[in-house]
Amino acid sequence: MNRRSRALALAGALALAAAANPSGQGRGGAPGPQLDLSVSPASIAFASADPDVSPIVAAAPVVVTVRVRQNPGPWTLTVLAGGDLIAGPATVDITNVSWTATPSPPYQNGTLSKTVAQRLASGTGNVNPAQNGSVTFRLANSWNYSAGNYTQTLVFTLTAP
Amino acid sequence: MIVSRRLLAAMIAWTAAAPGARPAAQVSTTTLSASVSTAAKLNLSTASVSFPDADPDIVPQIPTVGGPVLITAKSRANPGMQVVLTVQAADDLRSGVSLIPASNITWTASGAGFVAGTLSKLAPVTVATWVGSGVRTGTQQLYLRNLWTHPTGTYTVSLLYTLSAP
Repeated sequence: MNRRSRALALAGALALAAAANPSGQGRGGAPGPQLDLSVSPASIAFASADPDVSPIVAAAPVVVTVRVRQNPGPWTLTVLAGGDLIAGPATVDITNVSWTATPSPPYQNGTLSKTVAQRLASGTGNVNPAQNGSVTFRLANSWNYSAGNYTQTLVFTLTAP
Repeated sequence: MIVSRRLLAAMIAWTAAAPGARPAAQVSTTTLSASVSTAAKLNLSTASVSFPDADPDIVPQIPTVGGPVLITAKSRANPGMQVVLTVQAADDLRSGVSLIPASNITWTASGAGFVAGTLSKLAPVTVATWVGSGVRTGTQQLYLRNLWTHPTGTYTVSLLYTLSAP
């Protein structure tokens, strides 16, 4: 194998490797799903409120932008909490946080879980151009919560197929 | 040449094992936060109570008309902190120039955290204590110590209930 053929072989191998990358590009020349996801703002906050006056506390709506291309099959958007709401030694069970989402379909209402990713939206085929969804998270307010500033991480995951 | 072949073979092998078979995925992370402030809310079943006139020999301790006061205390406290409900008389019971010391009023109580006590105009007296946040209910039955030495009259006094949740 001369220098030229070695270079061709190397280029071919690199091309194969690139085609196998996990960013959504398919293999064997057939392009795989291309997914884009953004969630804004990056922080969701519940203000303190009197449970008698506000038994449910709503956060400002979150805009979720989804774009799905080159996708012949289903796609799913899920959300998973990293755990319960935590403020030092105090916790609030994450199942006290639910959400309402529009438009429906593809979005659906649900309740957060720290163990199983919950479906926030789903569909089939492409979503192109990108489509915005509005998600409003709601906290079931209670006198039983200890005072504190609670935090937790939410992971939104868009997958196909 | 041998090195190149091995390199090529390794790259092809890696390509075959690369995660191309995994589903495409995009991930976005956000932070969820909730602010819970300390708070206290107290509810008494009645805004006024009264003691009827009675013969001291027959009723040495006069209970309030209508029975005990139902108390509902709602509080949000920091973890492990003590929530306290107190009552203090603004003054002695007064009827014109006559007075009956506030300490002639006592109470019994029912409900978790509630305790019996004697009223004072000098300092708050504990009615109930709890630890942490929650909604608690109990009753307080007030009594007036009935004595032949009390001057006649219609006496009044204000009681100040304070619920604190640190």
